[in-house]
Amino acid sequence: MPSPIVNPLREGIANRISPEPCTLVIFGATGDLTHRKLIPALYNLAAEGALPPALTIIGFARREKTSEQFRKELEESTRKFSRTPLNEELWAQFASSIIYHQSPFDQAEGYTTLAKQMDEADHNRGTAGNRLYYLAVAPDQFPVILSHLRESGLSTANPGSWARVIVEKPFGKDLKSAQLLNTLVSEVFPECDTYRIDHYLGKETAQNIMVMRFANSIFESLWDSNHISHVQITAVEPLGVEGRAGYYDTSGAMRDMIQNHLLQLLTLTAMEPPTSLSADAIRDEKVKVLRSLRPLRGDDVFNHVVRAQYTAGLINGQPVPGYREADGVPKDSTTETFVALQVNIDNWRWAGVPFFIRTAKRMPKGGTEIAITFKSVPPVLFNRSGEGLDENVLVIRIQPDEGISLRMSAKMPGSSLRIEPVKMDFHYGTSFGKATPEAYERLLLDAMSGDATLFARRDEVEEAWAFVDGIEEAWKTRSDDLAFHTAGSWGPAEAAELAARHGVTWRRM
Amino acid sequence: MSFIPGIPVPIGGIEKALGKLWEESGESKTRASLINLAIYNEKPGSLERNTETIRGIAGEHAMRAILIEADPKAEGSSADAWITMHCYLRGAKGGSVCSEQICFQLAGLAARSLQSVVFSHLDSDLPLVLWWQADFRPPIDGKLWRWVDRLLFDSRHWKNPKEQFGLIRQIAGLAEARTVLCDLNWARSLPVRQALAAIFDIPGNLSELQLLRKLELDYAHGSRTTALLLLGWLADRLGWSLSNTSANPEFRDAHGDIVSVELKEAEGASISRMNLISENAEFHLLRESGSDLYVTTAQGTSIAPTSRMVCAPREETREILLAELSRGGRHPLYLRAVTAVQALWV
Repeated sequence: MPSPIVNPLREGIANRISPEPCTLVIFGATGDLTHRKLIPALYNLAAEGALPPALTIIGFARREKTSEQFRKELEESTRKFSRTPLNEELWAQFASSIIYHQSPFDQAEGYTTLAKQMDEADHNRGTAGNRLYYLAVAPDQFPVILSHLRESGLSTANPGSWARVIVEKPFGKDLKSAQLLNTLVSEVFPECDTYRIDHYLGKETAQNIMVMRFANSIFESLWDSNHISHVQITAVEPLGVEGRAGYYDTSGAMRDMIQNHLLQLLTLTAMEPPTSLSADAIRDEKVKVLRSLRPLRGDDVFNHVVRAQYTAGLINGQPVPGYREADGVPKDSTTETFVALQVNIDNWRWAGVPFFIRTAKRMPKGGTEIAITFKSVPPVLFNRSGEGLDENVLVIRIQPDEGISLRMSAKMPGSSLRIEPVKMDFHYGTSFGKATPEAYERLLLDAMSGDATLFARRDEVEEAWAFVDGIEEAWKTRSDDLAFHTAGSWGPAEAAELAARHGVTWRRM
Repeated sequence: MSFIPGIPVPIGGIEKALGKLWEESGESKTRASLINLAIYNEKPGSLERNTETIRGIAGEHAMRAILIEADPKAEGSSADAWITMHCYLRGAKGGSVCSEQICFQLAGLAARSLQSVVFSHLDSDLPLVLWWQADFRPPIDGKLWRWVDRLLFDSRHWKNPKEQFGLIRQIAGLAEARTVLCDLNWARSLPVRQALAAIFDIPGNLSELQLLRKLELDYAHGSRTTALLLLGWLADRLGWSLSNTSANPEFRDAHGDIVSVELKEAEGASISRMNLISENAEFHLLRESGSDLYVTTAQGTSIAPTSRMVCAPREETREILLAELSRGGRHPLYLRAVTAVQALWV
C-alpha cells in the first residue's frame, strides 16, 4: 500500500496525529449518550478546530424526526452539557454537518440509504470514504446492526480508506457473551479497526498514571514488592441507581465497575514498562497483568471478596431509600451495590503485595483513587518505639480534584522529637487552571486518528471477564454472603475484616 | 509613582518577607507555582501594566512572577523591591490559590547587573521563562541566557526586525544556551497556521498545495512582521525560495514556477484574510472584523467544495501568553520561517 501523502503544513502544529476526514455514524443517536456526551464532545472539538475537516455526522435511530428537529434537540442538550458555552455561529456551522437518518436497525433498506448518504458526503464534503461507526446502543442491538453493516458492504472500506467501529461498554455480561460479542464484531471488523471505549481511560489522570510512573525515575525504582506494602483502588459514589435500575440490577457493581474501569486502573498501576508507546505495546503489558491475576474460584471467593447492598440511610443529611426500595429494583434483589476484593498478582514484581479494590454506591462521598502504601521503615531509629510511624502513601486521585499526593513523616518543630505525617499535594486544578477536556473528546479524536492506545483490546476484555466470572460463579452457589450496610456509611463490617486480615484498613477518602 | 506594586521590602529580605506574607495569609490560601516568569521592561509605568497582565493569567497558570522595570542608562545605582500575591478562589471548598509577585525597579548599575539582583530570587527547580519587553542589544551575553529556559519576546513591536532577528539567531546559536525561543508574534499566527493546515488535511486539497500560484494576505496596521512570518512559514513548508524582494514579493516553487504574493494592510485582526490560489482551486481564510471565528473555504474544478469554522482566540496579550505557556515544547520551524523571508526584513 503506498504511504499516505503527508500534509507539510501539519508539521510543528500539533503534537498528535491529525484525525482524518470521515463520516461518523452514531447508532442510537436519540439516546442519552449522544446528547450528554458525544455531541457536546464533538462540538468542543469543532470549536477548537481539532476535528477533521469535512467531518460528517449521521445520527441513525428509529424515531421519526427530521434532521432539523434532531439538530434542534442536540443544540439544547449541547447548551446544557457542553463544557464550553455554545457559540451560535459556530454551532450553526457544526450543526450543518449533522444529518438525521431514520430507520429501524433491522431493515436492510435503512443501510442502503445510509450508504447513499455517506457516498454523497464523500463527494460533497470530502470525507474520503472513511467511516467511523459508533454503537451507542444496548448490546442486544449489536448483532443486527453489525450484520447489516456487513451485508450492505459498509463495514469494508474502499482501498485507501478505512472503516472503524466504536463499541460502548458493557462488552458482554460474562466471558461467554463477551467472546460471542467479540467474535461477532471481529467477523465484521478486524481487531485493528475495533475501538472498545472505557471512558475512564480517556480521563487525564488515568493517562497520567503512565507518565508519572515512566517519566519520573523516583517512582519506578520503588514500584515493586520490595518497597510497596499494599495498593488500594477505590471508586465510590454517593449516588444510588438513579434511573438505571433495569440495567444495574442485572449487572451489579462487579460487572458495572470492577470488570472494566477498576481492572483497567489496576493494569495501568501494575503493568511493566512497555517497549514503546504504541497501542499494542501498552496493551500487551496490560494484558500480562490480567493474566497474572490469581484466579478466585469456589470458597476462595468468599475469603477474598465481600459483596453488599445498601439499605436506607442518610446522604449529606438527607434520607435516601435502600437499594431494594428504588424504583425498578425487585424487593428481593440480591444484586451487589458494594464490592470489596483483595487480589494477588502472581508475577515477579508484585508477589506478596495485596491489591484491594473497592467500589460502591451510596457512600458518604464520591471519588476514584489509587493509593500506593509503601512499607514501613525498619524498627530502628525513629521507628524504634514499636508504635509505628505512618507509612508513606502515594495517592493518585482520578476524580474529582484530580491530582497526586504523597504522605511522609516530618519532625514537628520543638525541642522534643515528635514525628507527624505531612502531605505533599499536587492538584491539577491548582497548577493547571485551564479546564481539562472531557474523556470523550480525547477518545473520539483518537478513534478518528487511528490511535487505539486508550481503548480496550479483545484479549484485555476477555481476560477481565475470565477473572470476574470465577467470582460470579461462586456467588451463584450461595446468597448468605450478601452483606448490608447503611447508605451513607463506608460499607459493611465484612469489608473492614477483609482488609484487617492483611493488617490493612480501608482508606478514608 | 502613584501605582504601588505591593509591600515595599529590602532586596536582601524578599524571601523572608514572602514567607511572612504566606504565614499571615492563613490556611485558606494555597501557594502554587509552575514556573518563574520574569518580565523585563525599560519603559516607565511597565510595572503597573505588567501587574495587570500577571493578574490576568495567574488564575490559569500559577507562577512566581518577577517584574523588572529597568533604566540601565541612568547614572549611579538604585534598586527597590515590592512583593504581593494574586489569589483566586478555586473549588467548592472556598480556598484560594495564590501566585506570588516580586517587583523590581532598577536603575543604573543595578539595572545592568540583572543576574545578581533578580535571578537570585527565582523559585528553585522551576523553569525560568523570561519575557523580554525591550530591544535586544549587542553583544549577546551568554551568561544571562544560560539561565533562561524559555525566552518570550514579541517581534511585532520591533522597529528594526532585521537587526533584532539577527540577535535572536545569535542567542539561538549560543553553545551554552538551551533556551527555547518563543516569539509571541509566531504564537499569534498559530490559529491561522492551524486553520490553513486543516484545509489541506483533505486529500483532494493537498495536491493543490504544490500548484499554488498566488497568495493574497491582509494584515492589520503594525502586523507586517506577523504576515511575513506566516509567509516565511509557508515558503519553508512548501520549498519556495524568494526571487523578488519588492513590497509584493515573489517566490519560486520547487518546480521553478513563480508564486506571486500580494500583501495588503487592512482593518481587522492581525491576519484577517488569506487567499491561496492554485491552478485549479482557491482556498480562502477569513476573519471578519470583530468576529471570533475563522472561516475557511475551498473551491475549484478539481476539489470538493468545503467550508469550516474554528474559534479564533482573542488577540489580546493575555490570551496569546496563556496559549504559549500552556503549549510548551520547542518551535522547530520558527527560525526556518524567519530565514525563509530573511531578505524581506528591514
